[in-house]
Amino acid sequence: MRIARAGPPSIHAAGFAGVAALLLLVAAALPIDAPLLALFACPFRTATSWPCLGCGLTHAFQFTVRGQIGAAVSASPLGTLLAIAGAAHAGWTALRFAGVPYAPAIVAGARTRWACLLALAANWIFVALRTRP
Amino acid sequence: MGEEVAIAQAAWKLLLRPVRLLPDVLESDVLARCPSCHNTFSTERTGRQICPVCGKPLVVPEPPAASATAPTAELVSEPQGTPWERRGELGFWAGWGQTVQQALLEPGRLFASARLDRGGAQLGFAVLTSSVFWAIGQILERLLLRGQTDRMRQLLAAASRNPDVAPMLQRMLDVQSRASSPGAVLALAALTPVFTFVMLYLNAGVTHAVAAVLGQAKRGFPATFAACAYASAPLVLLAVPACGSIVGVIWLIVLTGIGMKVTHRISTGGAAASVLVPYLVLCCLTFLAMGALAMALRNAVGQP
Repeated sequence: MRIARAGPPSIHAAGFAGVAALLLLVAAALPIDAPLLALFACPFRTATSWPCLGCGLTHAFQFTVRGQIGAAVSASPLGTLLAIAGAAHAGWTALRFAGVPYAPAIVAGARTRWACLLALAANWIFVALRTRP
Repeated sequence: MGEEVAIAQAAWKLLLRPVRLLPDVLESDVLARCPSCHNTFSTERTGRQICPVCGKPLVVPEPPAASATAPTAELVSEPQGTPWERRGELGFWAGWGQTVQQALLEPGRLFASARLDRGGAQLGFAVLTSSVFWAIGQILERLLLRGQTDRMRQLLAAASRNPDVAPMLQRMLDVQSRASSPGAVLALAALTPVFTFVMLYLNAGVTHAVAAVLGQAKRGFPATFAACAYASAPLVLLAVPACGSIVGVIWLIVLTGIGMKVTHRISTGGAAASVLVPYLVLCCLTFLAMGALAMALRNAVGQP
């Protein structure tokens, strides 16, 4: 990844920034550990006692947006990264709308793809070991 | 040493002139496709330069008349646009109607004609189509299935009088009553554009991430977004109470696969994998409510 000169954000950059901001706002507002939302459980985990690939994401967002990074990483390291990346993207896009002429340029090569797969697998193993009874 | 890239006139210029060799001096912007990242970009000059998307060096070839040694250039002809993208000339309703018709009956043709630089129009189509029919479906469902809902509420209410039943059920009944009020239904209907906007970007983002990891994202995120946006056309079925949503969602998944194949120009297997793998992950979310409801009912009837 490198920082390069860029014009105003594209429609999709703005769209993702809006979605990230909305999700973080919802994560801040929703009391997911209180009834009734606490009733919702991952059916994959209920059926197999193993977490799915997305398990821990909601809690990671909720803790990250409250600044409890340790608890967020404990829930899902990748989810924490995603929440931080979403917040950073939303902030940077706002700056670009304000006239900052730079943007990160990411090129997804074969190494990046493998890194993503490994990160996903490592995250799942971490969550599985941490939540294993 | 940079690689040479394809070069072509912009599509709207091609429409205005007959097919011929490019002139010695570029009159204005031309489109070139980077051999590294396969993204198309606009440039005003030939020769060595940096791809503005991936930053790798490349050479935009001289026009054929000026350079006899230049390799055969691939003509990048941009499609003319879907009926929705041409609604300025076709009219709003004709553009929307023809796009939905093509999506349902001739999806290959629709996706082949989608322009990747019209993300805003595609976003508008998806949000308009999904949210309007979703809102109509919610209102119709409240009206037509009110009797069934009331019966279910009475059943649950009878069960909740059992002292062994968890108080959670009573709370569920209260929440359900509040959610069924006309004000809540209208508020929910008004929020559907926000929901569809978020869901569209989440769907496109996850699909593109999987496609990128599988090496199938050949033409960038705009291609995935176009596929996901026009694949939402079957969500007009959300207006049909009860079964419309199931049929619409299955149709959407199929259309997304076709869209990925056409817009990214990838194989059927690659497109199918890109589309279906996220659903393996998202099935947890899809069945979340069902699982929770099943657990609640199990608690309600007092089974261990």
